[in-house]
Amino acid sequence: MHLEPANFPYLSAILFSCVAGLLAIVFIPAENKILIKRVSASFSGMTLVLSLILFVAYDRGLGGLQFVENIPWIPSLGIHYFNAVDGFSLPNLLLTGIVFFTGVLTMWEMETRVKEYHALYFLLVTGVFGLFMSMDLFFIFVWYDVSLFPMYLLIAVWGTTRKEYGAMKLTLYLLAGSALILPAVVLLYVRSGLNTFGIVPLMQAGLFTPGEQKLAFLLLFLGFGILAGVWPFHTWSPVGHVAAPHGVSMVHAGVLMKIGAFGVLRVAIMLCPLGWIYWAKLMAVLAAIGIIYGAFVGLRQTDLKYVIGYSSVSHMGIVGLGLSTVTAEGLNGAVFQMFAHGIMTALLFSSVGYIYDRTHTKAIPELGGLSRIMPVASTYFIVAALAGIGVPGLANFWGELVVFIAAFKTYPPLGVIAVLALAVTALFMLRVVQKTFYGPRNEQFAQLPDVTFAQGVPRMILAAVLLVFGLCPALLFDVIQTASVPFMSGLPR
Amino acid sequence: MISFSAECATLTALLLTTFPPFLAFLVTMVLTRSRPILSAKLSIGAVSLSLACSIFLLVLRWGQPEPVQFSFRLLASSGVDVPFGFLVDPLSVLMLVIVAAISFLVQVYSLGYMAGDPGFSRYYSFMSLFAWAMLSMTVSLSILQLYIFWELVGLASYLLIGFWYEKFSASQAGKKAFVMTRTGDVAFFLGILTVLLNLGNLSIPEMNGPAAGGMPQSILTLSAILIFGGIIGKSAQFPLLTWLPDAMEGPTPVSALLHSATMVAAGVYLFARLFPFFSLSPTAMSFFLGIGTISMLLASTMAIVSRDIKRVWAYSTISQLGLMIMALGAGGYFAGVFHLTTHAGFKALLFLCSGVMIHQYQTNDIYELSRLGCSRMKVPILTITLAAAALSGLPPLSGFFSKEAVLGELAGLSNPVWLCAGLAGVFLTAYYSFRVIFILFSPPPDAKPVDIDAGSQHPDHGDTHHEAHYRFMAVPLIILAAVTVALGYVGEPLRAFLTGGGTLGGVHEEGFALSHLVALGLAAGGMILAWLEFGRPGAKQIGIVERIPPLNRLFAERWYIDHFYRKIVDVLVDRGIAYLCWKNDNKVIDGTIDGMGKGTVESGRLMASLQSGMIQYRMLAIFAVMVFLSLYFLFQQI
Repeated sequence: MHLEPANFPYLSAILFSCVAGLLAIVFIPAENKILIKRVSASFSGMTLVLSLILFVAYDRGLGGLQFVENIPWIPSLGIHYFNAVDGFSLPNLLLTGIVFFTGVLTMWEMETRVKEYHALYFLLVTGVFGLFMSMDLFFIFVWYDVSLFPMYLLIAVWGTTRKEYGAMKLTLYLLAGSALILPAVVLLYVRSGLNTFGIVPLMQAGLFTPGEQKLAFLLLFLGFGILAGVWPFHTWSPVGHVAAPHGVSMVHAGVLMKIGAFGVLRVAIMLCPLGWIYWAKLMAVLAAIGIIYGAFVGLRQTDLKYVIGYSSVSHMGIVGLGLSTVTAEGLNGAVFQMFAHGIMTALLFSSVGYIYDRTHTKAIPELGGLSRIMPVASTYFIVAALAGIGVPGLANFWGELVVFIAAFKTYPPLGVIAVLALAVTALFMLRVVQKTFYGPRNEQFAQLPDVTFAQGVPRMILAAVLLVFGLCPALLFDVIQTASVPFMSGLPR
Repeated sequence: MISFSAECATLTALLLTTFPPFLAFLVTMVLTRSRPILSAKLSIGAVSLSLACSIFLLVLRWGQPEPVQFSFRLLASSGVDVPFGFLVDPLSVLMLVIVAAISFLVQVYSLGYMAGDPGFSRYYSFMSLFAWAMLSMTVSLSILQLYIFWELVGLASYLLIGFWYEKFSASQAGKKAFVMTRTGDVAFFLGILTVLLNLGNLSIPEMNGPAAGGMPQSILTLSAILIFGGIIGKSAQFPLLTWLPDAMEGPTPVSALLHSATMVAAGVYLFARLFPFFSLSPTAMSFFLGIGTISMLLASTMAIVSRDIKRVWAYSTISQLGLMIMALGAGGYFAGVFHLTTHAGFKALLFLCSGVMIHQYQTNDIYELSRLGCSRMKVPILTITLAAAALSGLPPLSGFFSKEAVLGELAGLSNPVWLCAGLAGVFLTAYYSFRVIFILFSPPPDAKPVDIDAGSQHPDHGDTHHEAHYRFMAVPLIILAAVTVALGYVGEPLRAFLTGGGTLGGVHEEGFALSHLVALGLAAGGMILAWLEFGRPGAKQIGIVERIPPLNRLFAERWYIDHFYRKIVDVLVDRGIAYLCWKNDNKVIDGTIDGMGKGTVESGRLMASLQSGMIQYRMLAIFAVMVFLSLYFLFQQI
């Protein structure tokens, strides 16, 4: 694999922005809420700018790992502070930057324990950024847990519906995941005999026996898969989505679930390709069930956030299906879908956040007729819902398209099932749109204001991103390809 | 050099045809929401540019049957190549002109019809979205690109049907239209994947070329039928036909543009587009012929009993689309496309005329319209009669010529069943069309005509605003009426243009004269029956079907197709699968997890009770362990 050292440590700069923001917030007096929000917005904005720079500066012709920063940290154990980006992580870093920044703006009007909220939020995102850029198993494991810990507090303190239950359930599930990941990491470390946690040296072919790969892959797939909402380990995610405050829901569904899928890709698939090939059918079956099952359960939900939660289960199934095809197209589609789904869910939660803050309800039967009262806010939600249905012109379409093509080639019956889910998804998303936004003007909410321009900024950004990548999918596919094609061609067959 | 500049001109014209509506959509959606008149101007300006360029293209390409392609790279994910580009051939150029022309006329008409609506800007941005998607779909190079714009057209349709979303029935109809067409599109998409897997190429010229003949016959049939699923959805054919009548909840200009003249004809267009590919499978072709026939007859029976003027035309649209599919299924490429062309003109006219009446009297009911005196609106009532005559296939109007072509194809088939079905369709069409016309013309004796203040009737009465609205609406009517009269005579040049003088749509001369005499007789018969029941002085205005209550109910309930779907969605999906999945999530999966949690807590409690700190219990435990151990060792000794 090609390694291109960084001439400026952009990746560390992103982490540094997060930590500096965190420290700055810690040292601002809690009463000065507006300053905290401004600091929070500027530091998160800085990470967005940096990730955009990375996205633009990444050399697509060269491919491989770029912006490499490799510093030995504990040489005796072979632990390196090794950060780099490739075609798989670059879209995810950009996604994190966008969701992070828009998440801060979405929570602008929240006034309870502002300081603690923003501090924990920064800590959460630090872990996420760290995980996406790290090329060292030890660090990946640490970042995973860093991003877990603040979630519990963020949900339990600032959440809404059954928040203690949701927070506890989420934390236990994710800890179970990390309990599966740890033995696999240790197994790989010990069995390689190279005394290193680095992913690049561990990727050498023939380092692990097929048996070891199968075992390690299964552990890693289940461990990270829990976080990705793989059926039947998904039930923490809708509950968690619903309980979390909106900004956290955005990060949670938008980015955190991607960590799971990314972990499967970065660690399980890249280190244990034989295990991947062996277990691919299982992955495909679970993913296909998730796609159709999530859509059907979504049909029964009456809470706006639950609907989005189950749509996430269904859409993350598409990512899983792409990963399971063992083809370059499948990987391309899966990574594209991660990005598109992240933006789309963030937009959905951001819009629901606005509506909930005004109406104080997210029960669909109590809403209705909102389009007449807040047309702009409704438009944002509807755009995201249309993206979720897979309407062309918005990013999600391309992810789904490429995954379905790959799946149809590899597993025709499962491909057919997954495509059939398109109709069910359309049914439940449009039902929600109809019941929430259409219908006669709801007098109960008639006095509520629409989104102002300033309040609309985060939603505008997210909607624009959906549109840009919907119209020019090559912007993203070109990046992903630089990782997927060489990886697949180097695969032992 | 010359060919280069011609190509350059073609490409420029193509870009100028397809992109302006897209820009208009973005601008009106984002920037000019609060300035309705500006939005309308932008949108109409864009579509008139499209119209001008598409006509230019038609002139430029006239007499050149060989297709021209332009392709761009939009996306090349390894293994998945999505060729994006333009395919310009007689068929696509003709369709471009139809779409742009009707869009333009309808947008002008809407200036009057939608005036004062609070969603005026939104209306025009959706109209632009539709124009963009439909025009781009028409010139798509690959079937996947076509599918993408096909879906966007569906989106525009959803948004426009549910335009008056405060009305429950409107939002319901929009959702129904989207989900039903999406169901068809799932099959379409699977068909595309099948082709991709077996042919390795999705470009339309490739699919129509000799390479497709190398595919196994069973795969060919399968993929053709799957792709046809999309046509069934979009063109509202049996069994997915019930969304179209409900789609009439949208504003009437929308019904004229999308749900009669252009969007629903996209299905037929796709059929024509892939005609050589579909022709490779005779099995599939006879399947299509059957579906077309069933749809045509079923929809005609529904039209006979409907009292809602827009719904009558909607059923008639389904039926005429069925007729086009019959023509194509019978191998008549030109006949199908020609009927599509003439139908676009007179059906748009029917809707727009009805729209003027609905706008004036605020009702859709034909009896009500008649009672209120709609026959006094000169331009609309004359043009609607003209259009109904064209629909019935009366000479010398355009519908006569195209129906003649279709029936000629059906007569050429070896099985006479198809021709009989076609002739039955002719009779029913004439009957239901003139039923409406005669009812409109003969108000009941107790009618109290409402004074109309429309401009052309009472120029002194009406306020200037209303007059302006009426004029916006009247001009498109007159233009379309002229087209309806004239279009029939361009049949032969159009045939030469479309088929390039080639073999695509062979003329079946045998049975030609006879079947046409019969058809004319049947059309006249339908008219006379309608006159006897509804038109003649003193008629009771009760149709023959209405005298047979069970039949009447069957037709009015649309053969219970909708009830069937309701049941499926309610029982199978909502209360069936969705319920089971939901219960499984709550009880089985979460039950297990929560059970594990409870189990841990309970076992902890059990263990904790051992640690009570009472010395007696500890002594007892020590004693018990000692006894157990000594017994154990004792028995081991033995």
